[in-house]
Amino acid sequence: MPRVTVTVRDRGGHTATATADYTVAPPVLGGYYLSGNADPTADLAGGNFRSLTQYRSFADGYVFPGYHNTWLPVLGRNGVAITMVLELKHYGAADTGPQTFTVDGVRYTVPAPAMTIQQRPGTTWPKAYGYGQVLAGLCDGLLARALSQYRTLGFPVNIQLASELDTDHEFGTTESGVAYSWADSDTRAVQAMTYIVNWFKTRGLPAGTTFSVGSGGFDRAAYLRTHPEALMARLDFLQWNVYATDPAHTALGRFRRTRDWAVADLGPVALSRPVIIAEWGVRKAEFPDQGAWIATVPPAIAQLNAERGPRIVRTNYFNSGWGAFVPKDAGLAALRAAYATRPYV
Amino acid sequence: MAAPTVTASLNASTYSPGDQMTLTVTYADPDTKTLTVTVVVTDAQGNSSAPARVTAVIDPLTVTVTDDSGRTWTKVSDTGAVAVYRAVA
Repeated sequence: MPRVTVTVRDRGGHTATATADYTVAPPVLGGYYLSGNADPTADLAGGNFRSLTQYRSFADGYVFPGYHNTWLPVLGRNGVAITMVLELKHYGAADTGPQTFTVDGVRYTVPAPAMTIQQRPGTTWPKAYGYGQVLAGLCDGLLARALSQYRTLGFPVNIQLASELDTDHEFGTTESGVAYSWADSDTRAVQAMTYIVNWFKTRGLPAGTTFSVGSGGFDRAAYLRTHPEALMARLDFLQWNVYATDPAHTALGRFRRTRDWAVADLGPVALSRPVIIAEWGVRKAEFPDQGAWIATVPPAIAQLNAERGPRIVRTNYFNSGWGAFVPKDAGLAALRAAYATRPYV
Repeated sequence: MAAPTVTASLNASTYSPGDQMTLTVTYADPDTKTLTVTVVVTDAQGNSSAPARVTAVIDPLTVTVTDDSGRTWTKVSDTGAVAVYRAVA
């Protein structure tokens, strides 16, 4: 840590000294996500891409590195910082029944997922392993399977539990026939996330493993509820996602929104944690020139990081859904240009 | 003679590479006094010159700033009590 020393001397040779220490943070890691957890190697080649987001369901048989994802270990070994979003959400309609499998010689049976989430009216509600199931230890086999695979990966990752708890809970959840409000779902999720983090941490993890929990970051009260100090003490990062979906949205305003709520509402442990933006994107419909908006991101991040509060250390562009690049080449070129400027270099 | 006093504060504790860093130094010494000598010459007829003034500082202070990372801090202002320096992270 560099130190500035100031010495004041008078004519008689009397002196007084004061010091001030400071840190020069490493550059922000510019990152990426490619639709469908697809191999992004070609998109990343030659650019200053240093971070990546991936999504996995605990229900899947191949959590780490993912089924046939031979490219992921290559990126990881080459130093790309990987955020693995591990979800209790069950991705597929098929095979939502109980599972029996063997991990390191131990036979586990995990019941069918008993919770529904993302209960937006008029949609099919996805299934997920329930927070009650987690707390009852019924999902320990899923955790054991993930951990066993993770240990063979060869590099540490950030394990982000849940993609967006606020999206999962916005319309309440239901587990084993019992309905829970948004707030109650948040409370239950915090207990389950704490259980999972503790479960992993007491079993020996690759050095450098970090944890976070996922949030869209669009609801202030929910963000506060899901980031209590006791949980944050077990986590290494704050996390939220950032999208521009309204013509009035500026990069500074969008990246600032959840940050300002956090600074105002969260405790000192939470605010000591740096921030991963696991997803950010600009929607084509409102911003036909996606590249122009992307070009405003580096100065916005630099400005926010110069302010009091947690530093944003990774920003992963979500080239999918709301953030999909149309055309891809132009968006990718803009992203490459952005990541070639401060604070990404 | 009394000893001087000094405090140093940075505008942030963590910077991104390339950021401008601002250091504020507040300093004083009880012995430091600025005085002004005013000279007026008057002849026998009572004609006086315009006053000529000169200032002097008793026990002036010198401020030095060093950085163990080798960064150069440049003084941008100094009131005699508060000095501001800048460097690039």
